[in-house]
Amino acid sequence: MHSAYGIPISWILTVGAMLFCIGLFGMMVRRSAIGMLLSIELMLNAANINLVAFGSYLKLPVIAGQVFAVFVITLAAAEAAVGLAIVINIYRNEQHIDADKISAMKL
Amino acid sequence: MHILGFYITGYQVAFIAVAGITVLSAIGVVLLPNILRAALCLGLMLFGVAGIYALMNAPFLAAVQVMIYVGAITTMIILAIFLSHRVMKIGFSQAIYNPLLAAAAAGVMFLFLFVTVANSVWVRHVAASGPAKSGVGIDAVATALLQPYVFPFELASVVLLAVLIGAVVIAKEDTEDA
Repeated sequence: MHSAYGIPISWILTVGAMLFCIGLFGMMVRRSAIGMLLSIELMLNAANINLVAFGSYLKLPVIAGQVFAVFVITLAAAEAAVGLAIVINIYRNEQHIDADKISAMKL
Repeated sequence: MHILGFYITGYQVAFIAVAGITVLSAIGVVLLPNILRAALCLGLMLFGVAGIYALMNAPFLAAVQVMIYVGAITTMIILAIFLSHRVMKIGFSQAIYNPLLAAAAAGVMFLFLFVTVANSVWVRHVAASGPAKSGVGIDAVATALLQPYVFPFELASVVLLAVLIGAVVIAKEDTEDA
């Protein structure tokens, strides 16, 4: 028998790869800063799925994958807080959040 | 049960359903022109990921996913959208450079990852190594966080404190006398 309730690990890793590539596509296509943050969340979740899959399928310390996923979720929350604060600040100063037109840090 | 000649367990059917919802709503996140609908799709996608965690013997992580991601981060993102877009005026600037090129790049990346997964030795090893461990409860996670991983745990609390202060400072309105 394959694994947790018969779900092969390759299925889970494939779903993770799909989510990561969708996030990558969104990162390249979106111009709105919030849309890019959404794509980053997609990619972080793809990484988390892989971590949990490795944790529950490989012969590691049982809990390691889940603990790493908890840390990733913590840092994702931190990233969202700072990112949205920056977005709101930019909107207040420039009345838009178009990533192409934000040039405050350009030389 | 037998479907098209293949034997499929109920868990596999559940996984396919949950993964389908997750991937479809993820596509919605990147393709919907209305950013508010994209954010709502992100909420659905995060629910799907919680379902995948539940199917992988990680009930605690599924609960954390729903509480933190669906409950907090999605709410924060939607709040930021309300603060920074004129939501009623839906067609805001969404200039897409070359979606075909971007899709091709992402597709090549996916093919690369898929071939890697399909050909790796350890995936076959795992497939042959028998059933996974039984479910991991919240007590095991708590023990792991406070015994072997206590240093990263404390580091994460310091990072969160710094991030909260930093976010408040960044988003604070500049006062004249400051």
